[in-house]
Amino acid sequence: MPDIIYSAFAAPLRETFFQKALIGGSIAAIVCSVVGCLVILRRMAFLGDALSHAMIAGVAGGYLFMKILFNTEAHAPAMLIGSLIAALVTVASIGFVSRVSRVKDDTAIGIMYTGVFAGGVVLVSVFRGYIHIDLMHFIMGDVLGVADSDLWVAAISAGIVLSIIILFFRQFQLTSFDPVMAASIGLPVALIDYALTTCVSLVVVSAVSMVGVILVVGLLITPAASAYLLSDRLDRMMILAAIFGVTSVIGGLYLSMWLDSSGGGAIMLFCSLQFIVILVIAPNYGMLARWMRLRNSLPQQLVEDVLVESSRFGKTVDLNQLQRKISHSKAAFTKALKGMSRNGLLEINDNKLTLTEAGSVEANRILRAHRLWEAYISHVGAASGSEVHHRAHELEHVNDVESVDYLDDLLGHPIYDPHGAVIPASDSHCSTGGECSLSYLREGMSAEIIDLPAEGSDSRLNKGTKVTIGPRRENQTEWIIFLQDGSKVALDHETADAVKVRITSISS
Amino acid sequence: MTTEPAKIPAIEVENLTVSFGPRPALLNVSVTIDQGLLVGIIGPNGAGKSTLVKAILGFVKPDLGTVRLLGSSLDDAKGRLAYVPQRGAVDWDYPITVYEVAMMGRYPNIAWWKDPGRQDHEIVNQALEMVRMSDFKNRQIGGLSGGQQQRVFMARALAQGSDILLLDEPFAGVDAATERAILDVLERARATGRTLVVVHHDLATAAEYFDRLMLIKQRLFAYGTPRQVLNQDLLSEVYEGKLKVFSGMGKAEECHA
Ligand SMILES: Nc1ncnc2c1ncn2[C@@H]1O[C@H](COP(=O)(O)OP(=O)(O)OP(=O)(O)O)[C@@H](O)[C@H]1O
Ligand SMILES: [Mg+2]
Repeated sequence: MPDIIYSAFAAPLRETFFQKALIGGSIAAIVCSVVGCLVILRRMAFLGDALSHAMIAGVAGGYLFMKILFNTEAHAPAMLIGSLIAALVTVASIGFVSRVSRVKDDTAIGIMYTGVFAGGVVLVSVFRGYIHIDLMHFIMGDVLGVADSDLWVAAISAGIVLSIIILFFRQFQLTSFDPVMAASIGLPVALIDYALTTCVSLVVVSAVSMVGVILVVGLLITPAASAYLLSDRLDRMMILAAIFGVTSVIGGLYLSMWLDSSGGGAIMLFCSLQFIVILVIAPNYGMLARWMRLRNSLPQQLVEDVLVESSRFGKTVDLNQLQRKISHSKAAFTKALKGMSRNGLLEINDNKLTLTEAGSVEANRILRAHRLWEAYISHVGAASGSEVHHRAHELEHVNDVESVDYLDDLLGHPIYDPHGAVIPASDSHCSTGGECSLSYLREGMSAEIIDLPAEGSDSRLNKGTKVTIGPRRENQTEWIIFLQDGSKVALDHETADAVKVRITSISS
Repeated sequence: MTTEPAKIPAIEVENLTVSFGPRPALLNVSVTIDQGLLVGIIGPNGAGKSTLVKAILGFVKPDLGTVRLLGSSLDDAKGRLAYVPQRGAVDWDYPITVYEVAMMGRYPNIAWWKDPGRQDHEIVNQALEMVRMSDFKNRQIGGLSGGQQQRVFMARALAQGSDILLLDEPFAGVDAATERAILDVLERARATGRTLVVVHHDLATAAEYFDRLMLIKQRLFAYGTPRQVLNQDLLSEVYEGKLKVFSGMGKAEECHA
């Protein structure tokens, strides 16, 4: 057993080519991923693809230049500089085309890079007698054949790019988030854009020899996209992206050893799989999390039903009895109860449910909304018969205090709904010490008048007069109040609204 | 103005309640708008003006209440209504001319296998004439000023041939001259007997521009002539007292009465 583990994990590490691949690949992956974060936030993924293709012209150009002038074969620094130049020319021409014409950015990229790429392909094939580079190698990459020079190139460009990004982090952040604001505070937005595209060119150039033209864009954006699913801050996203880049390289290299496959392919395959796993399990933006959220969200209607039904039974109810009243599945019911007790709306002991203070207030509010909606629906004739209850049931979630109070006032502060059930008094108004219009008060409550209309009201009513509310008369349209000496005053709706009171007691 | 007396109301909204949560965006709104009027909807931000327009268009489903257009239900009245949304949602570099945009208003009436007929061209020309954009017919739409762009979209709505036009803030972000030009279009459209309902923000000009005003903030606070609606008590209730008094409010009334 240990033998298998040894040959699978440790043995490759003793091979120089594997070590070089690991080091080179990791360096390339780190810078690619960090720059990739800015690339995906700017929605420039296509640009990375374009640059890697355009480079082929630069490689060929650099090769020919050295071959013709100095007769040296495959001079690496020249090819590198050539590809950088090709990348920058491509970037500049893309900017130029989209600036001077109506052609949009993505179209300009498509035009310019295929043009430059085609130039490179033609160049290589015309001078195939002189140029001894393997296009296949360039397109597919060869991470397991990394040369020392490639390592140096990767290390130096990584150093340059990372320093630029760290030094100018805030500038990059602002221009990618809000370029207009960036320009307005005097940042050289165009320059920063060029710096970013130069960085992209550099990292692409240094990574192409390992993973090839086609796959390099994956290394640029996939780890960054994985990190994007996990973090809400750019700096953390960059760090995470770098880590995912490195794990892709390590995982991919082992994969390629075990399967005896192409190194670049295995790295990108691993990278993509890693993304898919993160896509599924990411805690906030992942699919699993979304599914869980949907599953855990309590259906509003069920919560309201539980509250209202339990308050109808009085504050404490037997769970089985309650469940029979509610038209949801047992599972949903149990889940709703759990969620509601977590939210402090109710407590459960010995299969009995007790509404908490908060729960009763909430239940009262919903019941009040429900019955007032019933009264309103009958009043405007929007429905009749059992339909009234159904519509009100749908509408009871519209229970914002102010809106419900408006309905209450519109209907003349009714005490009974159309079915003869009592409409609960408003908790938000009718609490001891609360101040509101007298019209909201119900029989048995006592209050002290704090304000009343200057004219038109009974002379026995004054500021400071203590009153007790009596029954409602005349088809609920006349408020009877008793003064302390036992005498009786009748008020109409308008006056009852205008008389403001401070409640001294809410029970008779 | 309109010659024959219009009996059927253009828009009847009855007991409309629309909610997106516990607090309804519109509550118990009932209003009847007669044909041939230029009506302004005013109210503070978040009052539900756009929601009312969308409910009239049938874009949002009301919790309660009904909307009738020219006597028939919303479903039957499709096509009798044209909508001019707020500016900005289109790609201004799109290769299309002013004339073609206005012609789009005719598309619902042109069978897909046919070309626009002579009548369609006539209607489009009239519509462009009405918004005074005939001289710009062959311009690409990006090369127009903001107010001109707005007018092109009004021409498109006019070309639809609808009797009722709903406009969401056509005066937002245009200069005084353009505002006059747009108002001019509205008045010309009214003169052809159409009913126009316009979401408007500027109380200072509301009295001058509209025949009727509708003041809403979740509920309908008032619907009537500008003189009735722009009263200090109502306004300070709806705008929570953060308003200056408007002088000369009744002035515009005489000319429309
Ligand atoms: N799709 C929606 N989802 C949730 N709430 C919405 C939605 N549309 C509107 N609302 C809410 O409804 C209310 C009314 O919005 P509406 O857009 O109708 O206001 P408005 O009067 O047009 O405001 P403004 O003058 O700012 O345009 C607002 O409180 C708004 O938040
Ligand atoms: Mg709006």
